Amino acid sequence: MTLKHDSIRRALTALACLLVLAGCLVVPGASVPPTANAAAKTITMGTSPDYPPYENVDAAAGGKIVGLDIDIAQAIADKLGYELKIAPSDFDGLIAALQSKRVDFVMSGMSVTEERKKSVDFSDTYYVASNTIVSRQDSGLNTLEDLAGKKVGVQLGSTQEKVVSEIENPTVLKLNKIPDLIQALKANRVDAVIVEDAVAAGYAQSNNDLNIAMIPAGDSGEGYAIAFPKGSELSAPFNEALQEMKNDGSLRQMIDKWFGTKSTVGSKVGGGWLHFDRIGSYMGYLLRGIYVTLLFTLVSAAFGFVWGGILSLFKLSKVAVLRGFSTVYTSVFRGTPLLLQLALIYYAIPQLTGYNIPALLAAGLAFGLNSAAYLSETIRGGIMAVDKGQREAALSLGIPYRTMMFSIIMPQAVKNILPALVNECVALVKESSLVSVIGVADLMRRANVVQANTFLAFEPLLVVGAIYYVLVLALTSVARLLERRMRRSD
Amino acid sequence: MIKVENLTKSFGKLDVLNGISTSVERGEVVAIIGPSGSGKSTFLRCLNLLEVPTGGTIVVDGAELTDPKTDITRIRQRIGMVFQHFHLFPHLTVMDNLIFAPTRVKGMDKSAARAKGLSLLERVGLADKADVYPSKLSGGQKQRVAIARCLMMDPDVILFDEPTSALDPEMVKEVLAVIRGLAHSGLTMLIVTHEMKFAREAADTIYFLDAGRLLERSSPEQFFANPQTERARRFLEQVL
Repeated sequence: MTLKHDSIRRALTALACLLVLAGCLVVPGASVPPTANAAAKTITMGTSPDYPPYENVDAAAGGKIVGLDIDIAQAIADKLGYELKIAPSDFDGLIAALQSKRVDFVMSGMSVTEERKKSVDFSDTYYVASNTIVSRQDSGLNTLEDLAGKKVGVQLGSTQEKVVSEIENPTVLKLNKIPDLIQALKANRVDAVIVEDAVAAGYAQSNNDLNIAMIPAGDSGEGYAIAFPKGSELSAPFNEALQEMKNDGSLRQMIDKWFGTKSTVGSKVGGGWLHFDRIGSYMGYLLRGIYVTLLFTLVSAAFGFVWGGILSLFKLSKVAVLRGFSTVYTSVFRGTPLLLQLALIYYAIPQLTGYNIPALLAAGLAFGLNSAAYLSETIRGGIMAVDKGQREAALSLGIPYRTMMFSIIMPQAVKNILPALVNECVALVKESSLVSVIGVADLMRRANVVQANTFLAFEPLLVVGAIYYVLVLALTSVARLLERRMRRSD
Repeated sequence: MIKVENLTKSFGKLDVLNGISTSVERGEVVAIIGPSGSGKSTFLRCLNLLEVPTGGTIVVDGAELTDPKTDITRIRQRIGMVFQHFHLFPHLTVMDNLIFAPTRVKGMDKSAARAKGLSLLERVGLADKADVYPSKLSGGQKQRVAIARCLMMDPDVILFDEPTSALDPEMVKEVLAVIRGLAHSGLTMLIVTHEMKFAREAADTIYFLDAGRLLERSSPEQFFANPQTERARRFLEQVL
């Protein structure tokens, strides 16, 4: 693989930069502080842990990052006497992390390209992957010639895109994620998928209806290498260590360890087309996502409600400036996509303030700010629906404005709008899946991780879908109880 | 107690009050009557600044209400108001309606407030309704609770804005009885009402308003027996 990323993520990053500080480089997504400090004898490695067997989150074993790249990096660090630290990040942000020296080197299944060479230095290659055709078992598609005129799927922006150009007259489908490609293959939407060999082997092992055929390496054999900041002093000692490992066979052993047997996947399974049994060991990992999703929903709902309440008071205020502010605020936050707001906040805050805002906080902030725009209108409606005599009665008793608003008007307003508030919460639970884009390990993100680890495209999504549904059911029944409680004064 | 000078109030181009001047003594009970649209309610609502006057001055117990430096919230604590539509707080029980302002605004002790609330509920004949919500009460009961809520603040003045107009006829009596019981207890009261019989019996002074002017200000005996203006005479002919 060459470029593994969500193109959404990349587009958003670019957009964020464009809007915030034109001409500046993308802020990396890493939430780990810079540590380029050889004196302390620690060395930081940037990697995007979503690409087994090179690097992935070992979901079944507590979220540790494991893989071939990690083993190689550890061996080199040991040889050179460093303590290795791993800074996970999106693939998009890795080059920028190098340039800003937030990490000392990057190993992330990154292949050497002329374009990248302009920005970073590369070590010698440590592995050369070859491309492989994955097709349905009975299709007999084994060579590039066989694929003439067929529908072929490749990962968007990957080196496999180039391979397709050697095929005669193909119809090409480009998707962001390899599990999606495999699903397209199984659903007969494409005849074959071209991916790199280790990935193909993983899928073939987990899906016995798939057939793989290696494409003989052409002259364009791009290999994977370690990337350093331009002019880094590390590249020479790293190359020496790498050479030693090549000579003594330890590199070969590591490659065999990760590619020879699939440690994350069980033995080849029999028929049937859904294999929930294979994600059994990931259930704990998936279920822990409930906590993240709920925490996130709670934080953004609470923040959205409080801020929305304040905005609604602004809208009812006598002060023209406050009214104007909240009107413009609502208009802007309702008029632009939530995903864009999320990316802006996540990428812009570190750039503008130097505070490296954690993803969960950025997401809570974005969703709260957005939700507040909608809620301010709902709450305003609720307040206006409260009989104005309530206000007069409170004023005539000498109750101060704030006490009146919070203890007399708001409780009645909230009761009026409770169903609308529940709607907003339900929407937040589901919209929270957007935060997986910036790497928050919520339910959706975890489903993606399990997809990558198990080579199953479909099952993790179904499981997570069921979890979302149960969460929303639970939420609505809590809301119903609350509503009944509030109705006791009727 | 209350001194009003040249009070005017306009809603846009509509002049509702056209220069009202009067003064109310401590303990005086004033019934304000007049045809609808004459400005009775607006006049009353100006006295606690629920309506902000367009011109003129209102002095209550030495404090000039229209002066921006005046803490109107504090003064309102001494001027109770009873509304045509009660305006009890629907999300609070009767007792909580009563003790809300004393405890939250005056810092009164909760148990003391409850004791006081209970004795006031007894006074208006509703001691058994302390823990129900307003939605469970009849109109007459609601208005009696509203009066008790008002009394909780120990006001010097109570403004009644058509307190019986929204009630079924059989409930008017119970509310008027409560108001009558308050008269001549030292409280200063201004009552906008259409109940002529009640006005004649309970009030010390009758104000007759028409077209935003205070046309007559006299004792009930004089007003009802011998009104001074043609307008008042015609009004009385129609309502009596």
